[in-house]
Amino acid sequence: MLALQLLATGVVTGCALGVVAISFALVYATTKIFHVAHAGIYTLAGYLAWSLVLWGAPLIVAVVVSIAICTAFGALIQSQLYARLERRRATHLVVLIASLGALAVIQNVIAGVYTPNILQFPLAWSGEVLPLGSVRLTYVQLLTIAVSLAAYVGTMWFAHHTILGKRIRAVASNPMLADITRLQPQSVYIYVIAIASALVCLPGILVPMDLGLQPYNGVTPLLTATIAMIAGGVGSITGAFVLSVAIAVLQNLSLLVMPGEWSIGVTFFIFVIFMLFRPTGLFAAAR
Amino acid sequence: MRGTRFGMAALAASLLCGQANADTIKFGGILPLTGPGALIGTAEMHGIQFAVDQANAKGGVHGNKIEVQFEDNQAKPDQSVLSFNKLTDLEHVSVIFTGYSGPTLAMAPLATRKKVLLVNAGAQADALAKASPYLINTLPTIGDEIAVLSKWLVGEGKKQGAIMFENDAAGMSGRDDYLRSFPDAGGKVLAQEATQFGQTDFRPALLKLADAKPDVMLVAITAGLLQMAQEYHQLGLKFTVAGTTFFADPATIADPSSAGFVHTQLRIDAPPELAAQFKAKYGVDMEFFAKQYYSAAQIVLTTLDKVLSEKQPVTGENMHDTLLKIGKFQGLIPLEFKTNTASVPIDINVMRDGKDVAIKHIQ
Repeated sequence: MLALQLLATGVVTGCALGVVAISFALVYATTKIFHVAHAGIYTLAGYLAWSLVLWGAPLIVAVVVSIAICTAFGALIQSQLYARLERRRATHLVVLIASLGALAVIQNVIAGVYTPNILQFPLAWSGEVLPLGSVRLTYVQLLTIAVSLAAYVGTMWFAHHTILGKRIRAVASNPMLADITRLQPQSVYIYVIAIASALVCLPGILVPMDLGLQPYNGVTPLLTATIAMIAGGVGSITGAFVLSVAIAVLQNLSLLVMPGEWSIGVTFFIFVIFMLFRPTGLFAAAR
Repeated sequence: MRGTRFGMAALAASLLCGQANADTIKFGGILPLTGPGALIGTAEMHGIQFAVDQANAKGGVHGNKIEVQFEDNQAKPDQSVLSFNKLTDLEHVSVIFTGYSGPTLAMAPLATRKKVLLVNAGAQADALAKASPYLINTLPTIGDEIAVLSKWLVGEGKKQGAIMFENDAAGMSGRDDYLRSFPDAGGKVLAQEATQFGQTDFRPALLKLADAKPDVMLVAITAGLLQMAQEYHQLGLKFTVAGTTFFADPATIADPSSAGFVHTQLRIDAPPELAAQFKAKYGVDMEFFAKQYYSAAQIVLTTLDKVLSEKQPVTGENMHDTLLKIGKFQGLIPLEFKTNTASVPIDINVMRDGKDVAIKHIQ
């Protein structure tokens, strides 16, 4: 019973992390920007949806409005921060520091507006449990699995079957050539960060519906997602998603044989193993 | 020449300002005002400020206005040390209110070295009792509460225990106390699992502890209690959940998932009119930590009154010596300092129907 429940909990956590990972992978593979402020957008989405639900908006409206605001905000970060820095020939390190600064501002503004206390979504059904044999999952956890899988499939379809998706892949593959062939990388970067911001809203809202909201809670998922992205192969959407689920499941199952405080160590151990034996990542070839 | 004149004018202005502030005595407060500990830290700040405002409204202490400069440490030891140095070296405060075990333990050696009185009314790690002669704890250590709790649980037939603890100074101190007191009382600890301060996903730890099939889960966490209670309920777990005064979280008590949780509770009551004034000022109930720090501020103000009566300078050393010389204080509860750590009565409470009900009083 314990192993099954831990497995199920790991899959839920992994699916949510998977969406963070694929959204971050989209940004990093295309722009080469280590977009740490993505953790801020993840957090912001939850707070926006929470506010709207508190004001009486139906959940679906709250989700759609939050996604719209975060999409615009992501595009704003690219066009007004990263693009300006690039025009000034800023190094990757400078852009990373700027992104860290943006994250700190977002987190502190959220903490200032909403207080740093743990907030809970005022949704009575979110904590209700559906027993599946010996496994007990809440409706929100089941919704997290379904929405995350849909987001993964949707992202794969978008990347391979739409003109914008192909344009993004072309820019990611060779930005200089894309520029010469008038694919306009700068506008593609804005689209990419906007799409990634929209995607990250899904776990950004679903996870707090289950575990509560905190202004500083976005960084740990982003770090784990980054490890999954690198271990999965930079640029591989499947790699990022699969490795996120694998890492979360292993973290949970590791409890069967070792104390919980070692679970973060398990993540980094997996990372070190991959870096030693497959530094390009598990799904490096698949794009 | 113009620069010299401007400089002299600025110096004169600053001297005048200094004279204007000569009747203000400044204390410090290093508390978590942001981060996962902010709920408690803010309540603590309100408790101190409420007592100080009342004293100032009555004309201050011997005509001196009291001011407390609060610094946010986010419950982090390193940030606390920076804030301590700022308050002592730049602001020259002689008394600092503190909370949370890790930060207080980090500041304790500095308090000894600089002879600054640290007043803790919220943290309970056992190490605090002997951390510094300049650290005054207005509440007993967690070990005292856990000894009482363990004896009561075993008496109720809850003899198989599992421990959930926070992986920090307070949590590990609580775990060590459970490991010592629960077997001493006749119980057996079957398993233990660590969590991180501020985490809200307790399911893996709960599942692992549940697998040991305990009668009772002994908890030593200081944040995320409501989430833990809800996840315990969602997983359909049936064992008793027990803890200490940190269980006195209003949101957790009000939530149906905490029904049946038991905990020790340091007894402290506020008169209804005082509680009403507090609520009118801050818009929230005067909960445990606000009362604790209100009481601690009263102790400091009483000590200051005595120091000034005896025409001593307001130094950390004089405040410390005078506080221990007074020994007994009658604030919201009667407190006695036979050592640096006060002794107070303890209750056993159970949460039911959204209320926290005392079921046993222990002196």
